[in-house]
Amino acid sequence: MSDNQTLVYKKKKKKFKVFPIVNAILFIIIACAIMIPIYRVIISSIDAYSSYGFTWLPQKFSWGGYRAIVTRSNLYRPFLISVVTTIIGTFVGLLVVTLGGYVLIQWEMPGRNFFAYMLLFTMIFDGGMIPKFLVIKQLGLINTLWAVILPMAINVYNLVLMRNFFEGIPESLFEAAQIDGCSPMGIFFKIVLPLSKAALASIGLMFAVSFWNDYTNFKLYINKNSLYNFQIQLRSMVVDSDIPNDGAVNPTTISNAATIVAILPFMIIYPFCQKYFVQGVNVGAVKE
Amino acid sequence: MQCPSCNTELPKKAKICPKCGTAVGKPKGNIKLMAIIGLIIMLIASLLPLVQSGEKIKEGVYPTAYAFSYMNISMPVLWYLFIACIVVGIILIVARKEFFSIITTVIAAVLTVVSVFAVQFTLVNGKVAGGGLKYVNVNLTDILSNGYNGNTYHIGCGFIVLAIGIIIAVAGCFIDIVKPFKKDLHVDAKYLSNSLNQSLTSKMFYYRGFYLMFVPVFVMILLFNYWPMLGVRFAFTKYVIANPYYIGLYHFQTMFTNDIYFWQAFRNTLILSLIKLFLNTGAAVIISLLLNEITNMIFKKTVQTIIYLPHFMSWVVVASVFKMLLAPYDSAPVNSILINMGAISSPIDFMNSTTYWRGTFYIMNVWKDTGWGTILFLATLSGISPDLYEAAQIDGANRFKRLIYITLPALANTIITVFILNLAKVMNLFESVFVLQSPITYAKSQVLQTYVYTKTFGGGNSDYGYTTAVGLFKSFVGMILVLGCNWASKKVRGRGIV
Repeated sequence: MSDNQTLVYKKKKKKFKVFPIVNAILFIIIACAIMIPIYRVIISSIDAYSSYGFTWLPQKFSWGGYRAIVTRSNLYRPFLISVVTTIIGTFVGLLVVTLGGYVLIQWEMPGRNFFAYMLLFTMIFDGGMIPKFLVIKQLGLINTLWAVILPMAINVYNLVLMRNFFEGIPESLFEAAQIDGCSPMGIFFKIVLPLSKAALASIGLMFAVSFWNDYTNFKLYINKNSLYNFQIQLRSMVVDSDIPNDGAVNPTTISNAATIVAILPFMIIYPFCQKYFVQGVNVGAVKE
Repeated sequence: MQCPSCNTELPKKAKICPKCGTAVGKPKGNIKLMAIIGLIIMLIASLLPLVQSGEKIKEGVYPTAYAFSYMNISMPVLWYLFIACIVVGIILIVARKEFFSIITTVIAAVLTVVSVFAVQFTLVNGKVAGGGLKYVNVNLTDILSNGYNGNTYHIGCGFIVLAIGIIIAVAGCFIDIVKPFKKDLHVDAKYLSNSLNQSLTSKMFYYRGFYLMFVPVFVMILLFNYWPMLGVRFAFTKYVIANPYYIGLYHFQTMFTNDIYFWQAFRNTLILSLIKLFLNTGAAVIISLLLNEITNMIFKKTVQTIIYLPHFMSWVVVASVFKMLLAPYDSAPVNSILINMGAISSPIDFMNSTTYWRGTFYIMNVWKDTGWGTILFLATLSGISPDLYEAAQIDGANRFKRLIYITLPALANTIITVFILNLAKVMNLFESVFVLQSPITYAKSQVLQTYVYTKTFGGGNSDYGYTTAVGLFKSFVGMILVLGCNWASKKVRGRGIV
């Protein structure tokens, strides 16, 4: 009997052997399709010469591109603006979203449903780009970083996501704390926040990515050179080829180095935080 | 009074049995949807011309005294009051107090009449503000019989729509149109607002801290989401910075009849979004199916990490990476490959060619977002019980048959969900196109949002009113899509997307 089984097993194993190999090769190709363009930019960013062709190694190694980013004020200032916006924006966003999300799980609070409908309606209808621009102009926020931070910080999608995370906390915990005499605020700080570290990480990262990568809001609400962020600067360098050429460093090298700098922060932290990103996506779709 | 299920004596006015948690008393009725629809129609009517001139609309010539509406006044107090009445009415209907909403409807109607006939007042800065016919120093009968400024006038579409709205709103308070579509009026105890069996004020006091917590959210939502909604009124005005004046549906008429670029942008929005959606979803499904077959966990994790990576790049970065790949030179990677293969003889400028722009756009989208799109599918696939595959294998099903009969049916729901979620965002296409397009490719790449942007901020004389109108059209179509997708989502998976 056992001989018979092993025979069948072996036969099957042989039969399917070709598929996993083809599959693995396919994924190696896909991975290459993603990594090779990035690799190409990395190589160009440390190459003193610019060439359009594909090279595996730099023709003449040089840190000039990165040195230019660190030393030229029109390059490091946008970078610092991006960093500041990302940090403040993520903090404000998380604050708003946590507060709102926690209020939305108070099912017995009078007015809770009104608040919920009020938030959800903004997902259905929006005034549009120009009315929003006029409002921000009227508030006097044009050419300040708040024009970028505040509208993006109140992200209803992330707020609902946060609420879903909070909803996952077992209700018996709240009840137990309530019986022990914990105030609603106490519950928030002593139970909800410590239990939602993963959620805070997940949504905080989503905020950080959107603030770091923000191009549209800066383009709309900021028209002062000194307040441009890195994405705006990068776009003007790469697409409009608007790079101050002082002859010392190849402009293409600088723009490639800038591209790498623009993706570097998330390239570094992403492998360690992958599970938080994935968790955010899954919670968003499964329970909305 | 006793609880119907456990027979305990209930406290006064209790809506939930304190012992067993059953809802007692009359369940709340359905929301009177028809009344809400009526109120929304009234809201739309308030933007339409109440009195309309017989003037022919000519391109570039704004109507002299096109209409008299709330917008005719530089300080639309009456319009704000009108909107407040409508919003309060909707809240009352949702709170199942339909009869009070009739009162607000009547007040709103009265405000309309007032705005047409009366109230002219002087503002602090000396400007004359006020509504209606007083604004042009004539009255309705004069206008209707003799005309004004050499134009004849007639009752505008605003009045007709408003009348329809009022009738629907009032009638809707008595008719329950939701009932035939709903089987039972089940109310989850969690959603019943009185489960603590306390008075409203004592509960509000108990939750006082939460109201404080909600203040920042509330203020920011009002400032950045609801205030811009009031700005849609500029779509009906000639936007002069000092004093925008009402020109009725002029912008919409130009937009729909005279502006070929608008239609081009609308068509491009639909084409680009929908094809992108199909390609991205399709590619994500295929890749996740194949990825699911990989048994070596380290290899699988590595592949996942790599294919998720492009999602974190901004569109600017993607544009710069691809600009290098697709550079229009013989030696540039893509062009050199194509030339060596003999497919083309001279290099193609992919990003600046109307023929290739869309294809390039789709490829970049697939490159950037396919990997990220697999997350949900992979989560679903990992949830399929291995027993099913084992049983199928014993029954002699091969890999393909297992795919057709087990994997795809299990995945179908997620595919539809993802599709619906993304279909709702079809009109929002902006940044990806904006970063990649150039004036040369506008014919193929201009979408509604970028059209609004370039027309407003792209130099020349920018009419904020006109671009607001285009934006309003975009928001309107977007709203229909979201509501439609929400409905579809409820049908498919039992709950909505908003």
